[in-house]
Amino acid sequence: MLLGIETAAGLVGVALADADGPLAGVWLRGDRRHAETLGPAVEHVLTQAGASLADVDAVAVDVGPGLFTGLRVGVATAQGLAAGLGLGVVEVTSVDVLAQEVYDGGWEGPVAAVVDARRAEVFVASYEEPGVQTEAPSRQSPETLAGRLAGAPGTLLVGTGAHRYAALFAGAGLRVAAIREPSPRVLVSIAAGRLAAGAAPVPAAAVRPVYLREADARINWVQR
Amino acid sequence: MNVLGIETSCDETAAAVVSEGRVVESSVVSSQIDLHARYGGVVPEIAGRAHVELLVPAVEEAMARAGIERPDAVAATYGPGLVGSLLVGLSAAKGLAMSWGVPFVGVNHLEGHLFAPVIEEPSLRWPLVVLLVSGGHTLLVHAAAPGRYRLLGQTLDDAAGEAFDKVARFLGLGYPGGPAIDRVAKEGDPAAFTFPRAMLGDGYDFSFSGLKTAVVRAVERRPEAATPDVAAAFQDAVVDVLVTKAARAVRATGARGLCLGGGVAANSLLRRRALEAVDVPTYLPSMAMCTDNAAMVAAAGSFRLLRDGPSPLSLAPDPGLFLEFER
Ligand SMILES: [Zn+2]
Repeated sequence: MLLGIETAAGLVGVALADADGPLAGVWLRGDRRHAETLGPAVEHVLTQAGASLADVDAVAVDVGPGLFTGLRVGVATAQGLAAGLGLGVVEVTSVDVLAQEVYDGGWEGPVAAVVDARRAEVFVASYEEPGVQTEAPSRQSPETLAGRLAGAPGTLLVGTGAHRYAALFAGAGLRVAAIREPSPRVLVSIAAGRLAAGAAPVPAAAVRPVYLREADARINWVQR
Repeated sequence: MNVLGIETSCDETAAAVVSEGRVVESSVVSSQIDLHARYGGVVPEIAGRAHVELLVPAVEEAMARAGIERPDAVAATYGPGLVGSLLVGLSAAKGLAMSWGVPFVGVNHLEGHLFAPVIEEPSLRWPLVVLLVSGGHTLLVHAAAPGRYRLLGQTLDDAAGEAFDKVARFLGLGYPGGPAIDRVAKEGDPAAFTFPRAMLGDGYDFSFSGLKTAVVRAVERRPEAATPDVAAAFQDAVVDVLVTKAARAVRATGARGLCLGGGVAANSLLRRRALEAVDVPTYLPSMAMCTDNAAMVAAAGSFRLLRDGPSPLSLAPDPGLFLEFER
């Protein structure tokens, strides 16, 4: 059984998957108290599924890009669970989860997963088809992204960044999917698929959030 | 009962195993000092990132050195401190406790410091007066017994350790400022300057921001002054205020012992003067127990677990958490 943890955006989510696919899940949006809600959510999902942590074979976690505070709550919790259980961790990026949900919904064209990075920037990754990332996650201004994608109007945008700058993207003739936050159900499905395909989980100590932005002080130092 | 303690409130990533509430089976501290030194202080975002990288190895090392596979409980600091740092240790501790099926207990970092003498000096008799001085806090506490505290006084502006850091930076002595000033001051004449002793005769509160300003002004007036003299006179002023108020608190409360705690308790002049200032037993923590560590968190966690029971998994980090008053 696989336990998935999702805290990269404004959503706290937990899901379980077994060999037949996603089994149980819970998510809470809008209250950003990740540190308070994640532990109880893990216990709740396990209880409702009639499972225990002894049944879990690996822990999956969204490593971002996303909001740093939320990311660290999810990553540190996954690290604690995996280290204590002696299990590995499957790292899944937020952009992979977002794009996959669009493809799960039947979309067949290119996708840009766009995560709000605050400070008038977004994190973005591009996909040609399910599971095929054509551009690794990077940070840029929404205007730059809109300008680039205007030349490829068939691209569907998804994620918190796509929604925050929806008017800008609409003005560039781009469509925005309804999905905002990465889903724990999709996260755990991706991780289960990778494990089934033979991917090796990483040790708990090696899990790293994908920040895509220098820590604040370092930026100030460079600019000084 | 073995308790795994986790401490990530500031710039030390620490894990420790303590048995029977006071026997240190292992204590691991991964210091981030090198990461922050170039900035002259702790950078919150850098600290938060480093905790994620350093915590699991520290926990694994602490467990291996203690020779156990599973503790009986997990204790972690939930405040006060930097919120982005606190939540790393707190979240990992909850995950570990869930994975082992053992209780989780949140610990007040300040109470952790008060448990240093419980670990190192069990012969010390309560009630105690505790002078807790570090880069983050400056408190004078009356501790009637474990769990029964009364705040006597605190700093109204800068913490004592913060004053050391700021003056050291001003004098070009580097970071952290405490050890740097302590070292340089040994070659200086503390009588070369007379810096103000703020609120010396007045209650138990402290103020250090004016002292820093006085140092800057004195150096501007006498730019030829020797740095060791400035450092020695500054250190003398800080220690004078700390020791005078702590000794007065011991006399006024009838405490049976005086304890120092926190990073500034490593200062050699403070240690010497504290010993001379009172005629009750004085506890001077080892260097490892002055600075933030997880053994003190595990010891305080053991006490809280036995007295109050486990904390809920919904416990949130509390950056401004205060020491509970005596009930
Ligand atoms: Zn401390």
